[in-house]
Amino acid sequence: MKEQADFMDCVEFNEIYHDLDRPGTSGFRFRERALAHAESCSSCGLLLTDGEALDFALHSLSQHNAGREAPPRVEAALLREFQASKAAGSRRRVHGQLAALGAAAAILLALGLGVQHRIASQPHKATPQEANLATTPGAEGSAAAAQNEAAVSEADEDEYAKEFVPLPYADDPAALEGGAIVRVTLPRSALPSFGLPIRESDGTDRVFADLLVSEDGTPQAIRLVSDANPN
Amino acid sequence: MELMGDGLLLGRMIAGDEEAFTLLYRRRHPAIYRFALHMSGNVALAEDVTQEVFMTLIRDAKRFDPERGTLGGFLFGIARNHLRRRWEQERHSLPLPDDADELDSLLSASARVGRNGVSNGNGNGNGRGPFLLSRDEYTSLETVGRVRQAISTLPENYREVVILCELEEMSYEDAASALDCPVGTVRSRLHRARALLVEKLHDSQPVRRASAVGE
Repeated sequence: MKEQADFMDCVEFNEIYHDLDRPGTSGFRFRERALAHAESCSSCGLLLTDGEALDFALHSLSQHNAGREAPPRVEAALLREFQASKAAGSRRRVHGQLAALGAAAAILLALGLGVQHRIASQPHKATPQEANLATTPGAEGSAAAAQNEAAVSEADEDEYAKEFVPLPYADDPAALEGGAIVRVTLPRSALPSFGLPIRESDGTDRVFADLLVSEDGTPQAIRLVSDANPN
Repeated sequence: MELMGDGLLLGRMIAGDEEAFTLLYRRRHPAIYRFALHMSGNVALAEDVTQEVFMTLIRDAKRFDPERGTLGGFLFGIARNHLRRRWEQERHSLPLPDDADELDSLLSASARVGRNGVSNGNGNGNGRGPFLLSRDEYTSLETVGRVRQAISTLPENYREVVILCELEEMSYEDAASALDCPVGTVRSRLHRARALLVEKLHDSQPVRRASAVGE
């Protein structure tokens, strides 16, 4: 009897008969063949009847519950939560904006202070005279050291040296015009490397010095500054 | 605004539009509530889960990815996770019809009949007739109670596909998205769940059906 069913056997029927009314499924696609098979096969016919009965029962339950929903207090609670969340979001946005403004103000303040400090730390540009004094092209280290010593000995009141002494490797005297003076501290032991003698220490291991820096950033000359009056 | 799709409403909700949220809630919450109710058999728990689902939506709506499924599927997925968490916490086992006082006596009667054994319950459909007599019978509260009872005793993974695909008439694809499993799994679970339901409903046939069969 089962063999007489066209194009569908019981196994195939069993796989699809739950989906006969569900669009987009193979059960829906082969619905007619499944129904034809069920007509010719008593056990599959019974399965189909059970399936239809179940569909109807499920539909009844679905209809019975169709109007069921959460009580209004749930919606009220959720609306309160939504409003609270919205207010918190607004507060977060305001705080974020304030923080951004604060950060911007801090950056501007830091930039302003930096510029002010830079201006204050550059009392004057190197004058041509200073530059001329500092230029000894091709000077060897020993000659420079002797010259430096002489310069330092001449000015020992306020500063170790009032004049710049060219550094041994200074090779661009012209660059000193328009160069900048940068005040630094150096270890006393480093003075010989600049061609300067080590003088008596007043107990400190570091000395103040002004570096005359050319426009390309290379130190060209140096002068020592009194520890007592570094500015 | 009522004609707007879920996606648009969600976008407005995220932007802080309270009316959009209200519409979205009213549109989507009944199915979530019913799902939680059928899954738990507990009204209070269903309310809690519904509230938790939409709380999650308020706090974390951007988690929804329309490319991974519908908003409905997304919400069912959240509901399912909340239910599981609650069960873990409370070790509540479930499922008896909660609110249908009018059904209690009928359900008891059905259960008694089931124990007496009306059908062979072998699940292959052989040697028995359809488990109910007439369509009038299906429409009765008794039928509703019996079906609800039968669903509530299904294993959880079968119960959820029945609720989503049969009671909420969700497509296999949306159910797969909500349950985070392949479409084929949904289909096979539903197939098995329906077979189990048929067996359970046969087992719980009312007395008059037993009499009719006996005759």
